[in-house]
Amino acid sequence: MSLDADILIIGSGAGGATTATVLAEAGLDVLIVEEGAWVEQGSVVPFSLDQMDQQYRSGGVTVALGMPSIAYTEGRCAGGGTEVNSGLYWRPPGELLERWRHDFRIADFDPDDLLSIADEVETAINVRTVPGPHSAPSEVLRSGAAALGWQHSEVPRWMTYPHGDDATKGERQSMTRTYLPRAMKAGARLVTGRRIDRLVIDGGRATEAIASLPDGSTERITFRHVFVCGGAIQSPALLQRSGVKGHIGRTLAVHPTVKLAARFADELNVPDDVPVHQVKEFAPHLSFGGSASNPGLVALSLLDQWPTFRRAVTDWPRMSVYYAAITSQGRGRVMSVPRMKDPIVTYRLTHADRELLRSGLARLALLMLEAGAEEVFPSFRGAPSVKNRRDVATMQHAFSATKATVMTVHLCSTVPMGEVAERCGADSFGRVHGYRNIHVNDASLLPTAPGVNPQASVMAFAIRNARHFVATGGSRA
Amino acid sequence: MRQVPALPIVGSFAERLLVDDLPDLQPAQRREVVAFIAHRVDSLPSFTRFGVLAIGTVFRMLVAVPGGWLGAKLLMKLPLPFVGEYPRLMRSLGFAYVWEHWPTTTPTGALA
Repeated sequence: MSLDADILIIGSGAGGATTATVLAEAGLDVLIVEEGAWVEQGSVVPFSLDQMDQQYRSGGVTVALGMPSIAYTEGRCAGGGTEVNSGLYWRPPGELLERWRHDFRIADFDPDDLLSIADEVETAINVRTVPGPHSAPSEVLRSGAAALGWQHSEVPRWMTYPHGDDATKGERQSMTRTYLPRAMKAGARLVTGRRIDRLVIDGGRATEAIASLPDGSTERITFRHVFVCGGAIQSPALLQRSGVKGHIGRTLAVHPTVKLAARFADELNVPDDVPVHQVKEFAPHLSFGGSASNPGLVALSLLDQWPTFRRAVTDWPRMSVYYAAITSQGRGRVMSVPRMKDPIVTYRLTHADRELLRSGLARLALLMLEAGAEEVFPSFRGAPSVKNRRDVATMQHAFSATKATVMTVHLCSTVPMGEVAERCGADSFGRVHGYRNIHVNDASLLPTAPGVNPQASVMAFAIRNARHFVATGGSRA
Repeated sequence: MRQVPALPIVGSFAERLLVDDLPDLQPAQRREVVAFIAHRVDSLPSFTRFGVLAIGTVFRMLVAVPGGWLGAKLLMKLPLPFVGEYPRLMRSLGFAYVWEHWPTTTPTGALA
């Protein structure tokens, strides 16, 4: 079998869906290839194991090797990560955009222009705050931060609330609800269940993609331009498998998080949603927020110290899980290995990262106590439970990152954009250096981890780059 | 390339770990949990899966010999790179499954 298109877009998440929309609405012949399936929202319970089976890569069990290893997740479905994440929306900070422009020499880049695109995105995906009262786990963050005098705010989400003002009944305006239908209305074609194994490259130009199907057969897809939008792990891995040389996969940046579970006097657990408040007193280095907290995830948060924490597991209706996230100075790598289907991913935390995780977890525990927690259960081996301020100090002393469950859901910077040859894998508009028709347009391009949820940045940059492609007649190159 | 199924390698260790952590979990439940764990190991990324099965083989051999469980518990306590993450992975998958499917499970694994 074979397929053909002027523009092949690999991946349908925040980068791929927005790219497809811009290019299809400009009249180009666009084919989107997605490895996962189209899963209707509402057909799976958010944050459940069933969802992980259907919409996450490897059932949600993926890890960047290191000391400690860092568990991460990637969406693998139509809409990518936007289908499975919390839908929280943060614009990239202006000063960060300025720093990226300067440090990576991103040409023809005006941060104000990018923020104007962010305005459009916010309308398209209905970014808004909760119309009514916040959930109890969210109130915990607000009240704890207020008691300590720490900066906090409600983070808007890409949501509609068709059932009135119930904060827990929002419908995520993910890519399958917004940009993908728009792209298809404009003529883009979407095929699912195909994994692109490699690109065939000849003389600095990609000519076709080799896809594998679930039945083991292969398919060839010819195109004039390819946009690789598989996310910060899969995009560099595909480029490496295809023999692309350059600064690819060497500077993985993430926001490592450590967690704790807090138990309160009253029931507060919301199994299928996350808090909308975040605490930014120590941003951009350190942020606090709330995690999904279904009973299984509460049990997970207790398992590092199961012998002494197990007693709390039946109290899950009175518990919720929270995280401290850091902007890491460490870096990781994505490395494709011949004959292996998946890349090896590594990440190395720096000493400063480890200390930040330590102080972050202690401050988060303090915040929980101020919010009225009866007892706090930090997620690391040998952790004491925390009932008062003295216990916080004991816990902080006992903490070590190598004993902790460290996770991340924000992955970026594996093909940084810009004109600094020794630091950038792609040019100022995402075209891979040294290749005429291979473009990257996803989180891989972000020069560093932004310190906030990166998907707003991903969408804004993807739209900017796709518009530049159209405006400069890139499709005729 | 055909892949080696995970169940024969990780099954006995995962079951023994569950007996230790959740002694009151019913045998039928335990089998269901072990099958889930093996299924998830089967879908791990290739390199991770290779590493998990390599470490799993060591633990499987320990569990298979008389008194080997004590050796396995000792091994779990040693600060060896990646080795300690194997039982953690088994527990993570198992506990997530148990409490998602039977949320009233007590700390010993009994159904409340």
